[in-house]
Amino acid sequence: MKKAIITLSLFFTLGLLSFGQVSDPLISNCVTNAGANAKYLKDFRIQLGKANNIGEFRYKANMSLWKNTKYRFTMCNADNSKGQLILTIKDETNKLILSSLDKKTGKIYPYVDFECQKSGLYQISYDFTDGQQGSGVGVVSMIK
Amino acid sequence: MKGRIFILLIIIFFGFSCRNSKSKTSEFVFPKSDSVPVSEAEKLSPEAIADISKNISSPVEIANLLQTLQVPFSQNYLAISIDANKQSTSFDKAIKLGILGADLGYLNMYEKTGSSLEVLSSIRKLAEDIKVGQFFDFESIKRLSQNKSNLDSLLFISIDSYNKIDTYLRSDDRGQLSALMIIGVWIEGQYLATQVSSQHPDKVLSDRIGEQKIILNDLLMLISPYCNRDPEFTALCKDMKDIKDKYRDIRITYTQGDPVSVEKNGGLTIKQTETSVVNMTKEQLNGVIDITKKIRDKLILNN
Repeated sequence: MKKAIITLSLFFTLGLLSFGQVSDPLISNCVTNAGANAKYLKDFRIQLGKANNIGEFRYKANMSLWKNTKYRFTMCNADNSKGQLILTIKDETNKLILSSLDKKTGKIYPYVDFECQKSGLYQISYDFTDGQQGSGVGVVSMIK
Repeated sequence: MKGRIFILLIIIFFGFSCRNSKSKTSEFVFPKSDSVPVSEAEKLSPEAIADISKNISSPVEIANLLQTLQVPFSQNYLAISIDANKQSTSFDKAIKLGILGADLGYLNMYEKTGSSLEVLSSIRKLAEDIKVGQFFDFESIKRLSQNKSNLDSLLFISIDSYNKIDTYLRSDDRGQLSALMIIGVWIEGQYLATQVSSQHPDKVLSDRIGEQKIILNDLLMLISPYCNRDPEFTALCKDMKDIKDKYRDIRITYTQGDPVSVEKNGGLTIKQTETSVVNMTKEQLNGVIDITKKIRDKLILNN
């Protein structure tokens, strides 16, 4: 018991040392998952109930992306998520630039790297597969 | 984790919406009017303002670009002359909070964490003075600054602190201070880029400077509701308009293309073939460099 308490304390302390007062471990874990060469830029915390209709992705945000920059979009799911977090990015003309879900194969990629060559505003959209209930984090990083 | 850096992004932002640009298929153009009418800016919902704030890109993206271009670190670019104890108005405190936030991002990107402690102290003082000190996790940031192995965490917490400050200011009906902080961040990032460009000319960097044209309208929309608030705001609005004027004849055009996807190591890589192209003369670039320096130097003068 004592050993377990010491171990837990150690983990807790290390956690604090690593991520200070960041209150959401899912975010900090997802930042870590982005990879050693990724430089954190932004995170999106997504919590959605079951969708009435499956259509447009429900969580939307705008983000400026810059030419000659390689971005990594990492998706992480909470343990209690019923669906898996998926991402689409569209440009200002509403043209689909990327999706983390391959509709042909059904494969869901845990991260997508985007080599941006056109500076502009992009719409970043998230949802959970099949409009299911879910909780997750999308992290945006820069990579070399 | 070693060698990895998370950037201090401050809040955020450099938004880039094209709410005012009607045609962007082949060229980015400013709206016809010289400035965003106050009435239009006032129509912005809190959500729209938050959206503008949050989609403005980080000045650390500039710092990252400088690192990629192997530009050496220089303390000379920093606004270390700012004395946090000599700022008398909320205007001065908020805009300098933004300026120093950008500097902190630059320092962190170059792992100059020892130097960042002085900047951190100033940031804490300014944050406390405008009653947002509770959101700036100074002790954790300071502790992590002294331990280089936790740089990514340092930057992550720094960004989180700035995000919280920004959100709180807007929810506390002090959107004018949020706007000032954002503009402070942007001006300092722009100053950094332009100063490096003048000393280490590089096409990629000058393009990034030229591309700032895209976000200027959003910055103006953020500040416009407050332009008649007091002389300080009026002067800042004029300064921002002066910057915009320097960008008027810089052209940004676009080429078309479809993205190419490649699967690699379990992940997906998308290569964009569409491109944005900046058409900017040396004189135009010099005009932007000069106006940025003039305005930024004026802003960091102590009262």
